[in-house]
Amino acid sequence: MDDLNTFALMADAATEAASHIAPRRGRKPRQKKSEDASDAHAANGTAVVDDMALTPTAIDPAGASNATAHAPTSEDTVAQTVNEEVFANESANEPTPSDAGHPGEDIHQRIGHLTRTLHDALRELGYDKDLAATREHLPDARDRLSYIARVTGEAADKVLNAVDRARVVQESLTNKADGLRKRWQAVAAYTAGAEDRATPAGRSLIDDTCGFFSDIGGQADATNSILTDIMMAQDFHDLTGQVIRKVVTLATNLEEQLLKLLLQTTPPEQLKKAEVSLEGPVVNADGRTDVVTDQSQVDDLLASLGF
Amino acid sequence: MSSDKRFLIVDDFSTMRRIVRNLLKEIGFHNAEEAEDGAVALSMLKATKYDFVVSDINMPNMNGFELLKKIREEQDLKDLPVLMVTAEAKKEDIVLAAQNGASGYIVKPFTKATLEEKVQKILQKTAA
Repeated sequence: MDDLNTFALMADAATEAASHIAPRRGRKPRQKKSEDASDAHAANGTAVVDDMALTPTAIDPAGASNATAHAPTSEDTVAQTVNEEVFANESANEPTPSDAGHPGEDIHQRIGHLTRTLHDALRELGYDKDLAATREHLPDARDRLSYIARVTGEAADKVLNAVDRARVVQESLTNKADGLRKRWQAVAAYTAGAEDRATPAGRSLIDDTCGFFSDIGGQADATNSILTDIMMAQDFHDLTGQVIRKVVTLATNLEEQLLKLLLQTTPPEQLKKAEVSLEGPVVNADGRTDVVTDQSQVDDLLASLGF
Repeated sequence: MSSDKRFLIVDDFSTMRRIVRNLLKEIGFHNAEEAEDGAVALSMLKATKYDFVVSDINMPNMNGFELLKKIREEQDLKDLPVLMVTAEAKKEDIVLAAQNGASGYIVKPFTKATLEEKVQKILQKTAA
């Protein structure tokens, strides 16, 4: 199993864990804990944010039983809660004389509180699940974009092949026309001598035919110009391909960031559970009864279960 | 006009290499080879003598700027005309290309007339 699948399963675990976490009402006690954490890590702002996101109080087993009762009813309610918290935090973090010498500490605390509030809001709105779902869909979106790039590239190649073939046909036609033009000009010269050897209708036909073959060269040039336009239009593949490549890179980065976010919001016990269940290939099956070593064992196991 | 000058077209998109190659043929330059990135191009340039390079910028392994820099650093290649043909339309990229010694710069999408004009202008300048 590759890392990506491993990550996907861990993300599943994160989602599952999130579904067991109840929205919380009583903010004040945890806010105090967050402040404590911030104080302890004020020296490194980012660490403070991360630590706060992973604070054990993010899981509220006591509130789990009230999950249904506390389920968010509307985004407005949650938004209001967020606003109240943000402003409450701002108010709580008003600079005091003792803070005056450490302005960075206050900023770190504010960032920490904001992160905590956003983190809670995500959960209360159920957006953590959306994040997990989004992360799961990103590889699919990436594959689809790559598919578009590949198919459009093939289409562009087909057009270029067709243009090349058309040019060959066009060139052959032009050469033949040029040969016939010369022969018809000889006929015209012969019939236009002192003794007029052509009837009026024949003369008209000879003149029209000579004119037609003379025009072929110009028409071939026009056709070639059109073929060039068709060929040049295929540069869309290069242009769109570059954009698609950038979007695919963006999707990959986004996926990685979402994964990190999910892992950060996953309770440690759930992470361990996910890690244990993702051992990958069995390196040494000796003495183990909890693994299979070949496909026949898989088939037997499934048969014993009625599949 | 027909010329025996040898071109090297560098682009990671085969469609674009093919388009430039066909355009050069229409303009009268029938002798052209292709490379899919700067690294491949550089090894080809060191192995064979070319008269003109038409290069993209945004490529894997070695991009057009890096290739240009390497070319200008090589004693045998430093005077080789290099025309950048790219979708990078930012001014800073154009300035950077000029600073690194690009002979010309064309932004995609471009026309046959533009390519012809730039190639002829660069060749005339090189010959002078």
